[in-house]
Amino acid sequence: MGEVKLFFGPNHPGMHGNFSVHMYVEGDVVKRARPLPGFLHRGFEKLMERRYWLSNLALIPRICVPEPDINEACYAMGIEKIAKLDVPERAQWIRMIVLELARMANHLSAIGGVGGPIGLYTASHWGTADRDRILDIFEALTGARVYHMYIIPGGVRKNMTPQIEEMIWKVMDYIESRLDDYENLIFKNRILHSRLKGRLILTREQALEMGVTGVGIRATGVEYDIRKVDPYLFYDKVEFEVPTATDADAFSRVYLKFKELSQSIRIIRQALEKMPQSDKVNVPISKGSALRHVVPKGMAYAHIESARGEFGFFVVSDGKNKPYRVAVRGASYPQGLYGIEKYLPGTRIEDVALWLATMDVCAPEIDR
Amino acid sequence: MTNSMSKAVEVLKSFNPFVEEIDDREIKISLSNDKVISALDVLKSIGFSHLSLITCVDWIDDNQFELVYILFNWEDGGKILVSTRIDRSNPKFITVKELWPVARFYEREIHEFFGIEFEGNDDMRPLFLELWDEKPPMRKDFDPSKYSKEKFPDRKYEKDVIKEAKIFRGEING
Repeated sequence: MGEVKLFFGPNHPGMHGNFSVHMYVEGDVVKRARPLPGFLHRGFEKLMERRYWLSNLALIPRICVPEPDINEACYAMGIEKIAKLDVPERAQWIRMIVLELARMANHLSAIGGVGGPIGLYTASHWGTADRDRILDIFEALTGARVYHMYIIPGGVRKNMTPQIEEMIWKVMDYIESRLDDYENLIFKNRILHSRLKGRLILTREQALEMGVTGVGIRATGVEYDIRKVDPYLFYDKVEFEVPTATDADAFSRVYLKFKELSQSIRIIRQALEKMPQSDKVNVPISKGSALRHVVPKGMAYAHIESARGEFGFFVVSDGKNKPYRVAVRGASYPQGLYGIEKYLPGTRIEDVALWLATMDVCAPEIDR
Repeated sequence: MTNSMSKAVEVLKSFNPFVEEIDDREIKISLSNDKVISALDVLKSIGFSHLSLITCVDWIDDNQFELVYILFNWEDGGKILVSTRIDRSNPKFITVKELWPVARFYEREIHEFFGIEFEGNDDMRPLFLELWDEKPPMRKDFDPSKYSKEKFPDRKYEKDVIKEAKIFRGEING
């Protein structure tokens, strides 16, 4: 039987955004695969060099669509490192709450996203509906549902009111009450088990060789989490666990995301309790109006644990009012390019969408 | 500085590095061209096994490119930025794909956006851009607005559409 060339994407319901894979298949099995990124290349890194430090805030959340807050946080942390700024304590706690909410929103939509390719549509409906509750919090807090532009260099844009804190407590209680239902209806479901258990294995050696981070590496039994290893914000002041699994298969990757939901709820509750009352939530990065802000000469790399793994910004300043260079490390870059070329061969056609979904390949952050 | 970072500085002493401390878990080590690959090899073997990013900065005033390799230690959270400067007029360097296979794609991206050749990495097909016919776009002397003005010129309308609309609305007589 001869080799047939098939296209996955550029538009596919199992993917975030547009991404294409050329697959050479024999029968049902992929023999060779070639990733073709670039459909979402918008030239962010070049655009950032041409805008003021603070005007970039409107631009960078677009780099990663499903979880935009991590971009703002990394950019802000990079600038603060170079300028040696002390961010007010309350702002740090608020940032932590926002980042954990974003992680929960992304995990819920990822659990829903796995439902699509395997035909378990309840997961998609539930995940999307519960994610919407978190988006309601974002709307109340920042005025926007998806792109918040809330975390700014030097702090956060606005203070969190007691009403919003009350709202977060309520939504956390609600999502926690739903977790048993998720476990029983989705993670004990036979469809999910037969499609994901023992399939699409990525071993520890392969993951380490590729430089995979996030649930991809934690599913192999290693407790690698930047929040624990290289704590930023106040992650060293809260108690939480890093869930791991040993099966290294697609099921454990999805299940770990589900497990992380309850850890995120734990972190948010602790943050709400420990957060000091204060009106000061931001400091200017330099004197004068926001458009004339300058950052002293220097370079820094700031990275955080996003829902998909290590996400980082490398920021270079030459002391002027615009960034000299900003480079983005997308969390899914290794598995999205090298991983597809090397480890997609051998999988069956129907599992390709699942491979991309459970490895969290996110096209906009690869293309940038 | 974390333990692994002080160990790294100690081990690399013979390479004549210039060490800058960025914060308590991040340092920048600048090296000369010929020592970078062996330094990366040493760093990988002492725990800095995770390659976060390879990137490039165009210092056009110095006529140099700066290559930055960002390494991370999963044991104690130390970050090392290994940096080296290469000549901008004939940009060439050596690949590190033997150390980190994923580097192939970072190098391909740098080749596409900065025009640097990596010896030993023969896969230098375009990755993100399609039918690109200008100088590499992330270089500082590439002007995107000039490029788009030339490539996609302003359209000239043969009809005066505003006037037609006004006539249509009955605001003026045609």
